[in-house]
Amino acid sequence: MTEAPIMQAVGLTKLYPAVAGRSAGDLTLFRDLDLTIQPGEMVAIVGESGAGKSSLLHLLAALDRPTSGDVHFGDIRLSQLNTRQASEFRNRSVGYVWQFHYLLPEFTAQENVAMPLLARGERRGQAMEKAAKWLNEVGLGGRLDNRSGELSGGEQQRVSLARALVTEPKLLLADEPTGDLDGKTSEAVFTLLQTLHRTHRLTSVLVTHNLEFAARCDRMLRLRDGRLEPEV
Amino acid sequence: MRFELFIAARYLRAKRRQAVIGVITLISVLGVAAGVASLIIALAITNGMRRDLQERLLGSTAHVELMRVAGDGIRQWQPLLERLKATPHVTAAAPGLYGQVLISRGARSGGGLIKGIVPSDERKVSDLLQAIKKGSAASLEPVSCADPCRPDTLAIPPIVIGKDLAESIGASVGDTVLVTSPQGELTPLGLVPRYQRYTVSGIFASGFYQYDSSYAFLRLTDAQRLFSEPDLISVISFKVDDLYHADRIGKEIERSAGPGFQATNWMEQNRELFRALKLEQIVTFIVLALIVCVAALNILIALTMMVMEKTKDIAVMMSFGVTAAQVRRVFLLQGLLISLIGTSVGLIVGYGASWFGGHYRFPLDAAVYSIDYLPFAPKITDALIVAAVSLGVSLIATLYPSSSAAKVLPAEALRYE
Ligand SMILES: Nc1ncnc2c1ncn2[C@@H]1O[C@H](COP(=O)(O)OP(=O)(O)OP(=O)(O)O)[C@@H](O)[C@H]1O
Ligand SMILES: [Mg+2]
Repeated sequence: MTEAPIMQAVGLTKLYPAVAGRSAGDLTLFRDLDLTIQPGEMVAIVGESGAGKSSLLHLLAALDRPTSGDVHFGDIRLSQLNTRQASEFRNRSVGYVWQFHYLLPEFTAQENVAMPLLARGERRGQAMEKAAKWLNEVGLGGRLDNRSGELSGGEQQRVSLARALVTEPKLLLADEPTGDLDGKTSEAVFTLLQTLHRTHRLTSVLVTHNLEFAARCDRMLRLRDGRLEPEV
Repeated sequence: MRFELFIAARYLRAKRRQAVIGVITLISVLGVAAGVASLIIALAITNGMRRDLQERLLGSTAHVELMRVAGDGIRQWQPLLERLKATPHVTAAAPGLYGQVLISRGARSGGGLIKGIVPSDERKVSDLLQAIKKGSAASLEPVSCADPCRPDTLAIPPIVIGKDLAESIGASVGDTVLVTSPQGELTPLGLVPRYQRYTVSGIFASGFYQYDSSYAFLRLTDAQRLFSEPDLISVISFKVDDLYHADRIGKEIERSAGPGFQATNWMEQNRELFRALKLEQIVTFIVLALIVCVAALNILIALTMMVMEKTKDIAVMMSFGVTAAQVRRVFLLQGLLISLIGTSVGLIVGYGASWFGGHYRFPLDAAVYSIDYLPFAPKITDALIVAAVSLGVSLIATLYPSSSAAKVLPAEALRYE
């Protein structure tokens, strides 16, 4: 891989200041952390609970700001973005999936998926069309008009995957996307993720507790004591 | 903005996870509607009151009245009257002689204000004579008396009195009443009041209590005789072609009448009344606007609860690129939608009720309210003002919840627990 990295975290430090009256000292999640992600990679991040995996992913998605250090995404330096530009970055450049589906309960599956497009001002008809296409792709072509309450856990997670990808981002960030699902469903969702990653030439960073899934990625990193170490 | 409206409208319609929020939302809609409706109704009534009072006042009073500053009466008035009739904007003029009297029938009596008039002239400046409900005013026409008219040889002269005055002294058409003037006569026994009998020939009802309870009309000559002031009048009343410039036209009349004269107009004479009505309208507005404020408080509560309920959803939206400004607008719009629905319902109910009230007149006690039914005069400008106030107050109420929604930090809100 000689290509320029798609994303690079440089000297990333995140610490939570001590809360007055509680625990001693600041909580340092990581200090001077470096991470380079090449285009097309599927990277798994594993680590103990509380190691700071979710916090790291938030920083990569410009959902939070590091205490120091920076994240480069192509020409973009996330630390230079104002809140508006950060919103635009999240809308155009990354797709994000959580452990929980976080679908908006008042809206149908199709509307949920169309939402990121509607938010950026795309025409409703066009957005809904793309949403239908993506729902088809995650195998839910027949559930367009169902609300999240009417879907199973696996289906909900598929919808949220479609929502993350509908804007056709280069980077997919997934924080324990199968964490809430039972074994069989987990397997199905992870397989779908792999398929989408391949067919859409995504770059994916995926936090998981499932070492088997992690092993199926191109690369596995362990976050331990504030450092990222390659895992074999 | 379409995106924000899409979200806001759906949030408003959707079934709530917390039923309380739905209930509070409904209460806020109803609150706004109630406030707006009562404002519209109250303003329609105060407008109606003012309009009707003004109409009646203008029917009953002259637009401009000219008097002597010294109060000594106008002598040789015919040439003056003719001259002043020619003043620009003056359409009619009538002589009159006022005097305070006691009117009695048997043991019952009441204070009255006599106005000696020439009916043909008076009709042109005031509608009181047209408001005769019983009998007629025909007998007030001047009698031609070639011979020296000796009052005691003639039939008892006629009088036309107001309905409430007639009721209070128990007089009806054809009855004889005794009018006593305090402007007494000097006799060897000292100053004795003058009194004279009159036959009630007509009773008028203007609907305006001030007049119906005290006015009495005599022929000008009879009044002059009663007050022992032959050929004297106290006032010349004018009708003008432009009501709202009565003050300017009055000044003109005053100037052409010469020194010693003073003109007053209907606006001056009833300034206190109109000021009181205006004040009443303002106070009513403020009191009822409080209802709208309470409704706005409900909007504030409903939205604040909704923002709390939706914190995660807001964070998710932000995570896929919805900006803080968009989130703010979602909740702003939601408050405005609540207010818009409430305001529209309120306007419809308010105007419906005003129309209904105007159509099926509600009787009022004339002695208390000056007019005998509840008038409604809804105005479009009121609707605009009320809608603006209602939407404005609601907008203020949405500021806090919408800005707290915009401050949601996605990384915090979505921390999986
Ligand atoms: N706002 C905050 N203030 C203080 N401490 C925080 C804050 N946010 C997170 N933390 C702490 O940072 C640590 C890392 O949290 P994080 O969610 O990133 O862990 P994780 O690796 O994703 O854990 P898990 O596998 O359980 O999801 C935790 O100990 C958490 O309590
Ligand atoms: Mg986590």
